[in-house]
Amino acid sequence: MVGSPVLFIAVPLLAAFLIPLLGMIWKESIRILPGLVLLYMLVLAVTLLGQVMHTGTIVEIIAGWKPPWGINLVFSPFTGVLATLMIGMGFIIWIYSYRFKNVDFEEAKKYFILFMMLVTGSVGIVLTGDIFNQFVFIEITSISAYALTAFYKHRDSAEASFKYLMIGSLSSMFLLLAIILIYSQLGTLNMADIASKAHLMKPEFKILAVIFFIVGLGIEAEIFPLNGWAPDAYAQAPGPVGAAFAGIVVKAGVYALIRIIFTLFDVSGTHQFLIVIGLTTLIISEMAAIRQERLKRMLAYSSLGQMGLVLVAFGIGTEEGIFAALFLLINHAIGKSLLFLSGSYLVYNSADKYINETNGMGKFLPITSFLFALGALAVVGMPPFSGFWGKFFMMSAAAHANMLLVIALILSVSLIELVYYFRVVNRIYFYKKESHIEPKKPTVNAVIAMVTLGVIILVIGFYPDVISGYLHQASQALLDKGKYIQDVLSTGQLLTH
Amino acid sequence: MNMIYILFSLMFGGAILTFLAHKVSGLLRDILFVLTILASTVLFYTKIHTGDAVDFSISGLPLQWGINAYGRIFSLIVLGLGVMASFYSVSYMKGKERLGYFYFNFLISLISMMGILMSHDLVSFFIFWEMMTWSSYFIVIYNGKHVQRSGINYILFSALGAYAMLMAIVMVYAHTQSLMIQDMMQAFPFFPVAYKVWLPILFLTAFGVKAAMMPLHVWAPDAYSDSPMAYTSVFSGALSKMGIYGMIIVFVTMVNYLPDDTWFRETIAWLGAITAIMGTLWAIAQDDARKLLAWSSVAQLGYIITGVAVGTPLAMLSALFLSVMHALFKGTLFMAVGAIEKQTGTTKFNEVTGLIRKMPWTFISSLLAIIALAGIPPLGGFVGKWMLYESLINSNHYILVIAIFFASTSAFLYCYKFLFGFFLGQEEKEWEQVKEAPALMVLPMLIMATLLLVFGVFPGIVLNPIDLGMQTLGFSTTAGTFWSMSGLFNEWGNQVMLQPLVYAIGGTFLFFLILLTVKGFKETRYVTTKDISSSGEVPLEHENLTFSEGFYQPFLRAVWPVMKRRMMSYYQGFGQGMEAFFDYLRRVYSGNGQTYAIYVLVFVVILLLFKNSLFG
Amino acid sequence: MNFTLFDLKIIEYSFFITAILVIMIGLYGALVKKSLIKVVIGLSVFDSGINLLLISVGYITSGTAPIFSPALVKDMPLTLENIKKLSAGMVDPVPQALVLTAIVIGFGVTAVALSLVIRLYRHHQTLNIDEIKNLKW
Repeated sequence: MVGSPVLFIAVPLLAAFLIPLLGMIWKESIRILPGLVLLYMLVLAVTLLGQVMHTGTIVEIIAGWKPPWGINLVFSPFTGVLATLMIGMGFIIWIYSYRFKNVDFEEAKKYFILFMMLVTGSVGIVLTGDIFNQFVFIEITSISAYALTAFYKHRDSAEASFKYLMIGSLSSMFLLLAIILIYSQLGTLNMADIASKAHLMKPEFKILAVIFFIVGLGIEAEIFPLNGWAPDAYAQAPGPVGAAFAGIVVKAGVYALIRIIFTLFDVSGTHQFLIVIGLTTLIISEMAAIRQERLKRMLAYSSLGQMGLVLVAFGIGTEEGIFAALFLLINHAIGKSLLFLSGSYLVYNSADKYINETNGMGKFLPITSFLFALGALAVVGMPPFSGFWGKFFMMSAAAHANMLLVIALILSVSLIELVYYFRVVNRIYFYKKESHIEPKKPTVNAVIAMVTLGVIILVIGFYPDVISGYLHQASQALLDKGKYIQDVLSTGQLLTH
Repeated sequence: MNMIYILFSLMFGGAILTFLAHKVSGLLRDILFVLTILASTVLFYTKIHTGDAVDFSISGLPLQWGINAYGRIFSLIVLGLGVMASFYSVSYMKGKERLGYFYFNFLISLISMMGILMSHDLVSFFIFWEMMTWSSYFIVIYNGKHVQRSGINYILFSALGAYAMLMAIVMVYAHTQSLMIQDMMQAFPFFPVAYKVWLPILFLTAFGVKAAMMPLHVWAPDAYSDSPMAYTSVFSGALSKMGIYGMIIVFVTMVNYLPDDTWFRETIAWLGAITAIMGTLWAIAQDDARKLLAWSSVAQLGYIITGVAVGTPLAMLSALFLSVMHALFKGTLFMAVGAIEKQTGTTKFNEVTGLIRKMPWTFISSLLAIIALAGIPPLGGFVGKWMLYESLINSNHYILVIAIFFASTSAFLYCYKFLFGFFLGQEEKEWEQVKEAPALMVLPMLIMATLLLVFGVFPGIVLNPIDLGMQTLGFSTTAGTFWSMSGLFNEWGNQVMLQPLVYAIGGTFLFFLILLTVKGFKETRYVTTKDISSSGEVPLEHENLTFSEGFYQPFLRAVWPVMKRRMMSYYQGFGQGMEAFFDYLRRVYSGNGQTYAIYVLVFVVILLLFKNSLFG
Repeated sequence: MNFTLFDLKIIEYSFFITAILVIMIGLYGALVKKSLIKVVIGLSVFDSGINLLLISVGYITSGTAPIFSPALVKDMPLTLENIKKLSAGMVDPVPQALVLTAIVIGFGVTAVALSLVIRLYRHHQTLNIDEIKNLKW
């Protein structure tokens, strides 16, 4: 055994606290340490993932308290795929932001500490098997996300952060309410235990708990009426943080929502609800996105829309649908992060980040512009790039479930998406540069990070089999609720004897 | 390794190498570009035989690539035109920016067209279809002219079509659990009725966009005229034929099995005819040669669509034949316009005149192409049109014949405008220094023009492969029966020896042509447009007195009532309305944190109120 | 102390009622007040209400602290029945642990919120939430 899932939480958290200490000794270490930690985690995650695919779920017991009493971490194919994705994205974003705030040591220190906390929290949300623990991880993620959103002092970032905080606190209240309801009914906080006992709850309490969970986690997963904070936060946060929101944080939120709906409770109608709410999110976000004048806001709205699409795919509820949803999720993580990363260089020196300030950047920033175009093609789902497969699997899953109207709606909304992405790409390549904008060349590490993402897009696009095997197992793991309960609870029994 | 893999690796590798070579040296890039197309053409025709196929699977989806006789007809167009255009563009594009980008996308669009023809399954068909869309899109905006209008229109309509196709594909997949086109054809008769109606509509939307069919044609004139002429020849000649390729499949395999297919065929046939008429009228109204040819392409595709929709064997044959001919003559004409643009810098009729002596070879090839386009014997266009008329009359579409005939005759007007506007008329001082285009540009035009003549005289050369292809589609062999079905073939097609009469007519025609040219050459006095005076009034220097100014005004005034309802304005109105609506809608994001918090509470309240109906 | 049944009910419900009242007050402050400071206060009052609610779930009227002290255990052997008997009168410790965590989190969030308020005031020279709307649509 190379390592256990608890390292995914312990190591980065430790690193986050070590950063200021090491920074006193050697200033460069605050930049290197997160990378080493993330690389270690990535290697560990990939190894464990390979192992899990063959031998089955790993359940880690924390501090000897066996389930259902103690906290446990579950590294199943499903959570493993998501954790690996997040850690991988974290690593790439670290490469990108290696030179972030190069001259300002204090600022850089804060950034890396918060970034490590963000990754820890998100990975924790995915791996934990305990709802209160999940709540704590959500709060860790949120607080570091508030701070990262407000990172720049001279912009409107404090405003964005405050909105995020307001809605985020509401989210944590509703989560707590839901947890209270469950605890008062079942007397347990372990997810597997709740899942096995869910039928014992009074139906009205169960529905109430589900509603509170949907609201609380829906805020994190950015579903429509609850996502007012999201575009501001995405747009005002520094570029790599925007990428981290799209690539890591929102994925954790979606995971939590999906776990509640698929595993914890079997309330009828939740799948249809996911489809309806996902479609609403998709449609409204895309409509808002096409009218944006600022690049990052446009990307943010587009990100919301894509997450809506992912929820629709989950809502189909068949194995094929979940497979498609995971595919879309991965594509969105990669593609949208690439867009945020390259986009923030395209508008690097402009104050208001208007879209027309990207005019003519193709000549001055050839690699960045090319990667932006590649990311745009991937996100709108043009073959032979990665987005196409997600879209195709999603469509065919929906067709198998006989949801032709859903397909038609999604495809017509995709047209809107196509238009605004191509408008930006046209501007980048075929417009005359605004004279007052000074293009900023990306640093070498940023180029490496963006090129890596671009290569991943191409590899998945040409050969989706690299991930589809994992994703098939992952989607089976999500659907097989009985096995999840048994895996978690049997570890407890094994320890007793 | 299978030859099909090698073909695709060769083309893909060539495309990437060409792109990279751009950074190294221009000459290397040009050589690689031409070599890639030449080598893959040779490979395709020597090593890959009809019926070859390879199976593989991606992510659990079984896919198959291969080639059948039907695909081979279109491969003639794609690769033939591709080779010609590649030579042409090396010379045409010399000295322009971003050539790596241009050649890369050029090659990708050729690859994807070949891919479409070689896809035996729906997924790779769709993948290549979308690749064709974006690669051609990137060339449409290459010149940087109206990128937001023509480019976005093109990509939007293409995507509309592509998504319609995607929807149809997943419907088929969900219903048959197979992605093979062959399986779809076999299963179609047993589909539920709703599917039977919707699938052809969705597929025809997709193909209709690329083939510029009537309500979906609005992108075409802009996109054709804004992309570089070196590519437009392929764009209009080959890429639009992919739409025809798909349409024919749809009509043969689906529409035939509709419970009552007459209304379907009639609708599409009439859409084709209206496309032809409107395209012709708009072509007549243009002052820019590129726009004229673009609209004329739309019109010509209209005939082909009509032929496909009518669907009798003869009509199908004529559609396929016209497709090949259209690729040849429209390819030539776009190349000629490109040559003129390259030499003079403009493509407007009212700016450049009298090029006949400056650019004789361009003139000759344009002349041949125009004759073919107008459908005058003995060039290729005539054979195709004749078959089309005959098939329409045989299947009792008399009104349709009148419509097509009207469009076809009106086409003479713009044909004349094209020839006369550029080549004839007074010579302007401004254009005295104009030289003939480089040989590399002239040669492809001449070759294609010659081919038009050859195919017009011996249509059997083209009709044989077409006949093979049609057998693949399930038509009985036409080789034996066509001669009796078409009065034409008794004279022209079947017999290699032309009748002495034709020689006599041709000879006389040629004699007088030469005589008059020589005679005229000696006695002509060359004047400029300003060299006139009437009632003592001398025209001012800046007055545009070129005869092309305001050409056909009376005619256009007569047909204006038909033309003034432009499809484009409806789409624009719709688009603006939608954007205004979106702008209104996005105000839900009011920017006030408290409002968002209230949304959250309202959401909770709604969920609580409707909890029984939502989660009951 | 002696409680009647009515008193017991009152005490049990009074926790819930108070908690819900506190939550309502907090919501009112967060959603209606225009001053950012008041909004933050509202949020933390809301938070306290939730904590109260959480505590009251595990509360048993006149229960004891969940500690197995030597005085309580005496010389009883620690069998399952004995543990059950002993813990019957104890308050459930889990909600208290949860509330402790929640209080810490709430503290952190309030601290971040207040620092953001300071930043907002410096940037906008106002604390009126309606005037801080640079980011919209």
